[in-house]
Amino acid sequence: MNPNSTLCSRRHFLHSGGFGLGGLALASLLRDESLLAAPVKPLLGPESFDLKPKAAPSPGRARAMISLFMMGGPSQMDLFDPKPMLAKYHGEKFPGEVIYDNVAQASSKVFGSPWTFKKSGQSGMELSELLPNLQQVADEITLIRSMRSGVSNHLQGMLAMQTGKGTVGRPTVGAWMAYALGSETQELPAYVVLAHPSGLPTFQHQHWTNGWLPSTYQGTLVQAKAPYILNLDPPAAFAGRPQSRQMEFLKALNSGHAAEHPGEHDLQARIASYELAGKMQVAAKEALDLSGEPEHVLKLYGIDNPLTADYGRRCLTARRLVERGVRYVQVLNNGQSWDHHGSIIKSLPERCAETDRPSAALVLDLKQRGLLDSTVVHWGGEMGRLPVLQNDAGRDKWGRDHNTHGFSQWVAGGGFKGGLVFGETDEWGHKAVKDVVNHYDWHATVLHCFGFDHSKLGFIRNGGNLTLTDGQGARIVSELLA
Amino acid sequence: MKRNTPIRRLLKAASVPLCAAGAVAHSAALTQPAAGNASPPAPVYETQVRPILKAHCTHCHGEEPKPGGGVDLRLRRFMDGATKDGSRVLHPGDPGDSELIRVIREGEMPKKGKKLTAEELATLERWVQSGALVSEKEPDTLPPGPYITDEDRKFWAYQAPERKTAPKFNDSPALSAIDSFVRTRLEEHGLRFAPEAGRAVLLRRLSLDLTGLPPTPEEVASFEADKETSAYSKQVERLLASPAYGERWARHWLDVAGYSDTNGYADADSLRAHAWRYRDYVIRSLNADKPWDRFIQEQIAGDELAGVSHGKLGDAMHDKVKFDALAATGFLRLAPDGTGDAVADANLARNQNIADTVRVVSTSLLGLTVACAQCHDHRYDPITQIDYYRFRAIFDPALDWRKWRTPAQRLVSLYTQADRDKAAEIEKQAVAIEAEAKGMERRFLDELFEKKILEVPEEERDAYRAARATEKAKRTPEQEALIKKHPSALSLFGLNLYDPKADKQVQEKRAEATKLRATKPAEGMLTVVTEVSGEVPKSELHHRGDHDQLREAVTPGELAVLGGPEIQKPDPALQSSGRRLAYAQWLTSGRHPLVARVLMNRVWMHHFGRGIVNSPADFGRLGELPSHPELLDYLAVRFVESGWSLKAMHREMVLSQTYRQSSVHNESTSRDPENVWYGRFKVRRLDAETVRDSMLEVAGVLKKDMFGAPVTAARTTEGRIVAGVEVLNANGDVVKVDTSAPAVNRRSIYLQLRRKMPMTVLDTFDLPVMDPNCESRPVSTVAPQALFLMNDDFVVQTGRALAERVRNELPGDARAQVRRVWVLTQGRPPATAEEDRFLAMLSEQTESLRDYAAKHPGSKDAPPADLQRDAFGSLCQALLASNRFIHTE
Repeated sequence: MNPNSTLCSRRHFLHSGGFGLGGLALASLLRDESLLAAPVKPLLGPESFDLKPKAAPSPGRARAMISLFMMGGPSQMDLFDPKPMLAKYHGEKFPGEVIYDNVAQASSKVFGSPWTFKKSGQSGMELSELLPNLQQVADEITLIRSMRSGVSNHLQGMLAMQTGKGTVGRPTVGAWMAYALGSETQELPAYVVLAHPSGLPTFQHQHWTNGWLPSTYQGTLVQAKAPYILNLDPPAAFAGRPQSRQMEFLKALNSGHAAEHPGEHDLQARIASYELAGKMQVAAKEALDLSGEPEHVLKLYGIDNPLTADYGRRCLTARRLVERGVRYVQVLNNGQSWDHHGSIIKSLPERCAETDRPSAALVLDLKQRGLLDSTVVHWGGEMGRLPVLQNDAGRDKWGRDHNTHGFSQWVAGGGFKGGLVFGETDEWGHKAVKDVVNHYDWHATVLHCFGFDHSKLGFIRNGGNLTLTDGQGARIVSELLA
Repeated sequence: MKRNTPIRRLLKAASVPLCAAGAVAHSAALTQPAAGNASPPAPVYETQVRPILKAHCTHCHGEEPKPGGGVDLRLRRFMDGATKDGSRVLHPGDPGDSELIRVIREGEMPKKGKKLTAEELATLERWVQSGALVSEKEPDTLPPGPYITDEDRKFWAYQAPERKTAPKFNDSPALSAIDSFVRTRLEEHGLRFAPEAGRAVLLRRLSLDLTGLPPTPEEVASFEADKETSAYSKQVERLLASPAYGERWARHWLDVAGYSDTNGYADADSLRAHAWRYRDYVIRSLNADKPWDRFIQEQIAGDELAGVSHGKLGDAMHDKVKFDALAATGFLRLAPDGTGDAVADANLARNQNIADTVRVVSTSLLGLTVACAQCHDHRYDPITQIDYYRFRAIFDPALDWRKWRTPAQRLVSLYTQADRDKAAEIEKQAVAIEAEAKGMERRFLDELFEKKILEVPEEERDAYRAARATEKAKRTPEQEALIKKHPSALSLFGLNLYDPKADKQVQEKRAEATKLRATKPAEGMLTVVTEVSGEVPKSELHHRGDHDQLREAVTPGELAVLGGPEIQKPDPALQSSGRRLAYAQWLTSGRHPLVARVLMNRVWMHHFGRGIVNSPADFGRLGELPSHPELLDYLAVRFVESGWSLKAMHREMVLSQTYRQSSVHNESTSRDPENVWYGRFKVRRLDAETVRDSMLEVAGVLKKDMFGAPVTAARTTEGRIVAGVEVLNANGDVVKVDTSAPAVNRRSIYLQLRRKMPMTVLDTFDLPVMDPNCESRPVSTVAPQALFLMNDDFVVQTGRALAERVRNELPGDARAQVRRVWVLTQGRPPATAEEDRFLAMLSEQTESLRDYAAKHPGSKDAPPADLQRDAFGSLCQALLASNRFIHTE
């Protein structure tokens, strides 16, 4: 299925019938396969692409998604996946084979987690003491302990988790969502990426690339400091009146030109795009401005505490964006700050202290506002870590190497089953062994929550129908769903 | 299998047996019988049923060596048998007793992939019910696997184009062939041509179309003043002769060829530093109107034309004609290529590069989705997997995945002997320095090892030492196991991980060599495709497209459905296999059914905004049918007759009445909004490069130097990608981007195209991603484009440059300045009211800026801001952003 495959006809509906639902509903009917001659028609000739809201082929519970992406690879056996065997054999030789990425500091000594776990919520989900706030919302989240991508290294892991395969050049999940569903608001970008104040994650724009989808579906980067969004504001001296004058002049020029060409809808669409841009300038500022949020909300997200203030602000911003109709928000860390090859005993608690409260607050806040049911919240990175020591040079230097064969992530809302722990790694936490969720299974499941069949939601390029899961035999992990 | 399920019984009861028809249908050759009077004609196998089965079923049932469940659906008569458990595959006249229908209806089949639509199933049912007819006698024998039927071969695209006579019109006997064909269709749809466009509009259209740049006001004025009948054709000739023509039309070809300045595929997206010589070759060739038969032959087989092979280039690099032919082979090296970078699976990267090259060649020249047959037979077009690997085999001797040459290994030096000698001397010294660095590294690692070995239990140390000293390939399993037991003691590599300080010393030593090497004479390089003389690799079918599952050997050849001669070495004296040359000669023989059509369709699309076949890279069953098949054939035949002269064809197209129509024509806009019948010239947005180049041109700052290495792309701290040079700090982070060089304002075709770092100005307006190529660009209209035009530094600065230009041209005369910017950007002078309003806005803008400056005093050392210029610039910016400016009409 290609949401734009009948675009020309939809365009006419939209233009002739205004932006009414009639046109959209009919357009989505036309997209229905049963009325289209099989097979899927390729995109023909130059196409237009837009961000107008589009209906999924079947009703999905989820309407928006927030991904709290943890680049670096958070350690599952210290946070989500307790392994008593590790504590028992701590310091002893690991009995099996380990798949290392960094051989120089490799050791085969078992590394028992220095932290304790607590059964949380009604469900008794075991979560680390490093995540006291998450423990409070255990019954709202679905914990997947059997994630697997099987590729090595950060880039490939990130690409697998974000684009479906470990190769460069493919669209990210957010781009697919923007393409498939458009945006509920035309005043804000469909796909927003919130950057950490000290910089972007290692692979920069690849975290929000549109790949081979049209550039309309690229994520819009919101930096933590001015200018926030590229080209949102005019040069300072032109802000306000001078830009308004400029826009009035432009509008007069364009209206005169359009009047000479009655019926050329593209010219009208361009005029409308300036109006949208103008609204976006206002709407984006409004959405990014947290000053109107009440005290208790700021506190909930930990914005009153310097340690959690940044991440809290960005989680709260994510909620505000989703509330205003943004389809997909990605909250990023900097570099790969969860990549704890060394000094994990010091660093991991720091990362958790920054993110635990805001992440849990987001779930709680969405729930209280009745938004959780339609919003998928995802917390996880591109990999997990190994059960053995890395950098055996004293306790304060201990770390763990990469592990893409078994790791954990949690998800909440949008149709996922709260309080569920799903899947298992082996007794050491190295490899996912039971109910394995491959990255593509995860993607198929997420698309399903939005009402899409992952094998059909595609984009035609060079005669091929390319999809997020692209022939990897993905399955919808329905056990995860409520 | 289930039998007699309720649904089956229902069906049986409902089906009306057509015994008579069913009986005759069995006796092979038969044309469609007259069925009931009122009912639609009964479907027949070849035209209605086989396409459905081919799309959904025959992949498993007939095309694989062993048909699934013993059921082969490739011919109607093969369906007379029973399934393994004895059910009738097909009972003509009785869909209820036909397993074929049941398994589909009950969702058992197809097991994988898309289910049939209700409509498709209904067609099958009607077919069975009406007796399962065929329209022609089926072949007596069928080779294993897929086959191409006569019905397939009849498809329009596989018939060689025929010259059609243009219809004559009594009221305008002089109407050109193009116009006659177009007018015929227009009249069929109750439409007429629009009147001719005004001269200013027409010249702007023509100029943007042929050169990618708007005309100067002086050019417009001279055209408007020219009263001769040849006035328009003189403009056509002037623009076709302009060097800017090649720069514009090269861009169209580079899209389908998939040109990029980086290698793509791998994360590194490493630079393809010499690709631009191919780009220059294309520009030169188009400007020279090199005949396209030669142009295509050079790109497919330039090395063979030049008579060279790998390592045996002779004087080719210093012979103008041969050099051009070799530069052309860069075409086969444009696809994404990770084979020179660190990739997980080298063989996969090689085969992917070949697959992408096949894709580029087939979409650009054949207009067929050949790539769909890489893993299995094409589901819709008569292109088999064997066809795919036969097609690929044409290129195998040049792109041999087993004896691969990386991008670096395909470079040929443009050095002279003196350059070579000097470089060799420097290299010798550098190698010595590197050997020294390696020695240092080894010493450090050995010292390290002496400490690390202490971690290994004493009794294992001697054995560990021995294991370490043994080459990896020669170690015994015990030695490997020992190393694995104590992995971190090995200390054979990764000094940076163990001892960053020592590593730094080694790196510094290495850096000395790098520095020295930088003093070598600059070496020009050309990417070439060549074959190794006498080496012709075996070509095989890759089962499911997997290079680890090789099947039968294949010989090189054209797709079977396209016919064509056998691929034979055209000249026994050739050092190479001659496969590509033979193939290129067939492509350009004038008898090929597709090449000329595909090219002419694309040229037409660029001129008129819409292809005659509106799926320019797919002329197959999934593509669109031509709106004007006679016109397309006429153009294809004319192209060949003209000696493959593209300029001749441009001339014919742009001189037509069809091209010269006004863009304002209500009857066409309202009744044919997409302009399928060409009853007006459709207004359309300029493409990315033309938007940028036109702005720079009217602002008077476009640098028109031609050719050479591209202007680098740089990422600013705000996240823009601009033309410029990144200035880095000690940590390698970008602190700013230097955009002071005038070269940053060169034409867009000379900007570095990095697959992963597209220039913001171009990306915003739908610059395509080259993965591997782009057959037609999408056009988006989105708010980020508006924000770009409102606020991006590029547009702000270009607006100011335009203001400065007219102030310099007409100093002191504000009214004249306004009229000038208006003419430059809107193609006409402003009305008096517009002029007055503009001046009022200008003083208002200046006032606002003055207020702002008063409230925000800058530093004392900064030069005073030119407020009037900036205010004027902001209004010029609006003129540049206006629809009239960024559209052609």
